[in-house]
Amino acid sequence: MKMLYNITYIEFKLFLRTFVNVFFSLVFPSMLLLIFGGIYGNEPSDMFQGHGTVDVSVPAYIAMIIAVTGIMSLPLSVSGYRERKILKRLKATPINPFYILLSQILVNFIMTVLGMVILFLVGKIVFELNFMGEFFDMLVAFILSTLSIFSIGFAIASFSPNMKFATVIANIVYFPMLFLTGATVPLEIMPKLMVNISKAIPLTYAVELLKGVWLGKDLSEFSKEILVLCGILAVCTTISVKKFKWE
Amino acid sequence: MIIEVEDLVVEYKGVQVVDHVSFSVEEGEIFGMIGPNGAGKTTTIECIEGIRENYSGSIRVLGLNPKVDRKKLYNLIGVQLQETSYQDKIKVWEICKMFSSFYANPLPYESLLNDFGLYDKVNSYVSKLSGGQRQKLAIILALIANPKIIFLDELSTGLDPQARRSMWELIKGLQKDGKTIYMTTHFMDEAEYLCNRIAIMDKGKVVAVDTVENLIKRFGLEETVVFKADELNLDEIERIAGVTSLERRGSEVCVKGREINFVNNILNYLGNNQIRYRDLKVIQPSLEDVFLKITAEKSEGM
Repeated sequence: MKMLYNITYIEFKLFLRTFVNVFFSLVFPSMLLLIFGGIYGNEPSDMFQGHGTVDVSVPAYIAMIIAVTGIMSLPLSVSGYRERKILKRLKATPINPFYILLSQILVNFIMTVLGMVILFLVGKIVFELNFMGEFFDMLVAFILSTLSIFSIGFAIASFSPNMKFATVIANIVYFPMLFLTGATVPLEIMPKLMVNISKAIPLTYAVELLKGVWLGKDLSEFSKEILVLCGILAVCTTISVKKFKWE
Repeated sequence: MIIEVEDLVVEYKGVQVVDHVSFSVEEGEIFGMIGPNGAGKTTTIECIEGIRENYSGSIRVLGLNPKVDRKKLYNLIGVQLQETSYQDKIKVWEICKMFSSFYANPLPYESLLNDFGLYDKVNSYVSKLSGGQRQKLAIILALIANPKIIFLDELSTGLDPQARRSMWELIKGLQKDGKTIYMTTHFMDEAEYLCNRIAIMDKGKVVAVDTVENLIKRFGLEETVVFKADELNLDEIERIAGVTSLERRGSEVCVKGREINFVNNILNYLGNNQIRYRDLKVIQPSLEDVFLKITAEKSEGM
């Protein structure tokens, strides 16, 4: 455990030293909230069934943070470490090799939580953000969404032969997630075709689940979303286990 | 025997990149493996280090099986891999501290940094170190475990001559401290200077394992005597015991031979006949000659 703590601690520091990571997981979501909150405010809106724009945006942006850490940061650092033989070098020490990978997952998880906390504080302080759900339900929805999206990222890291390939795939997966799932642009304003497209993208289910639970709905109303996210987790974990290589 | 390799076979895409290799390494020696690129040196060292597991045959390192006892083994050996880099933006002390935390009884990395003249770089980013400094760091990270055996895979590749020389002295120092060193290199001078015994690997096979001296003897290589003289009876020289060939380029004469007294015979002849010669030098066959001979023979056989 001491080894896991130490390697995670170092990787956490290294994450914070990388501008792109810090900006997109910690700063950008709050910036977005300040911009759209500034434009639309948090007054009850007909488009969101009487909810405020900020109250609806925050859980969606949480999904966006999960996509940034899970689809961009996680696979790129794992495939980069493999390409540069860092994984191989770490494996030639007494540390349990599983911890090396776990530390990457943990760091990105912690950063996701941190990004979420900052987003929450900005929403609370600037826009009087409301959280209408149950804390425990939200925790379950958050952890399931994170594991599911992270598993996609890990699968990308596992089947990519090199970092270039991983970067291309991560971008192909990430950008539709950003714009076509309700994570940044609400599905409510989209035509039917786009809504149908969104149904093919995994993050949509995380956005629906997080948003619903945040706004006070019960977990049991989201069995479809939960099932899809669990299915993705199972499939991507299997791909990772089968395809992952240390070098 | 501190390392024993028996009948090691590694197949990669249907080709035996390591082809029934057996050898052993004695405690306290510097054991070197040389061979052309693609000979299987790195594959072999990685099997012994426990990084590669898809092999057949038996490997024992300090009596342990690298496939099974990896945790125990990694507390007893130190590893430097070919072409490793480190995390971006990690500092020297951070990577040292992280590696220390992996081991049961780590050496204090501050004193290792000091011994290797890297202490003033303790707060630098690893990415800002020079090639030589980075290789020193690689050795330090291998030494943190306070290992009995150190594995160095092409440590001096890419270093400038000064850095290479200072690396050699560091490695000699490690041997004095009682460490066993297993290294691969493609620099013959390095192997000749450092290694007590050398294994020559070619096309997946270990073709010879011995001391440099014995390798040269075994392959019956010639010594060469070169000198300048203006008046000389070449026929007489050719009849001197031990001479195998003779070549004259202008005033320079180049005589090759392989008898024990060959050099002496030449000198005696020159002295007895009062021949005025200058710029005489004796060129001993080197490891490189052995290496070229072995690898050339194998190529012809193909």
